[in-house]
Amino acid sequence: MKSCLIIIPAYNEEEHIAGVLDDVKKSNPAADILVVNDGSSDKTSELSRQKGVMVLDIPFNIGYGGAVQTGFRFATEEGYDFVITLDGDAQHDPASVQNLIEAMEREDADVIIGSRFLGAPYSMGTARKIGVFIFSRIARLYTGITFTDPTSGFQLLNRTVFSYLSSGDNYPLDYPDVNIIMVLHKRKFKVREAPVRMVEKRQGKSMHSGLRPLVYVARMFLAILMVLLRKED
Amino acid sequence: MSLGMRLVIFILGTSLFLTILELVRKKNFREELSLVWLLIGFGMILASIADLVIDPLAFSLGIGYPPALVFLIIFFFLVLVVLYFSVVVSDLKGRNKELSQKIALMEYRLNTLRKKD
Repeated sequence: MKSCLIIIPAYNEEEHIAGVLDDVKKSNPAADILVVNDGSSDKTSELSRQKGVMVLDIPFNIGYGGAVQTGFRFATEEGYDFVITLDGDAQHDPASVQNLIEAMEREDADVIIGSRFLGAPYSMGTARKIGVFIFSRIARLYTGITFTDPTSGFQLLNRTVFSYLSSGDNYPLDYPDVNIIMVLHKRKFKVREAPVRMVEKRQGKSMHSGLRPLVYVARMFLAILMVLLRKED
Repeated sequence: MSLGMRLVIFILGTSLFLTILELVRKKNFREELSLVWLLIGFGMILASIADLVIDPLAFSLGIGYPPALVFLIIFFFLVLVVLYFSVVVSDLKGRNKELSQKIALMEYRLNTLRKKD
């Protein structure tokens, strides 16, 4: 595989970031690593720098999608051929990156989404299960392809795709999930899945607590509706 | 409506209108955003004689209590104003994102150049 950048968006991840970076370096020695510090108020940035990786410091918190898009912009300007997005909270096992790369070569795809449900068993709450089920069905209805884990942020994207997503409003600030799969399908990009290993988040604030799941589902439905209504994306 | 009441509403409307004009003149309020508030101020000035139109209109619409129509109109305009400012905030959020991303990228390049020197 040609030049590859691993983008790790991180917001207040001082507890995990050093461990994540060690694991990423160990399992992917050939790839460059970029931590996008999304306005953290803790030592996320300093700890990342100490690990000798590239760090982008966004002056204030702009959201997960905005941080990932900043990484896409960097990769586009620096001429990378591929990017891998991997969360900074130690949910994604960096050793699974190889699965994504192999799947991209095998399927000749533009995007490979890492699915936690295709590999080892993964436990999650009922509300999340229902959410994933609904969005999987919507993705299948629209694309005709089964996506078992459309909300996964563990992805491998080629240059054509990430340079498209890096510009303007092509990537949402908060929830880049099934709506992005639909947008990419609409633009005739080939999106497929590959098994990855994930562990459920134990510490920190989850986006799946309190009223957030309801807000998330409502906004995702709105995003899906907009994809359907917009002629150009 | 009594003449005194008309006068009070007229003075309040005119004060609001002039305050906004002054804010714009001093460049404390952007012209393009102030337009909505100038319209509201102008509307308040007109409100001092609005009963001449509102009362017959309310009765023709079958509204027995004309002030209800006034509240309805005010509510509608305020919703429009809130919508307008929500659009402005949304636009600002997008620009904010662009700027913060550019700052992060430029800062990285600046630090890289410094290290090279």
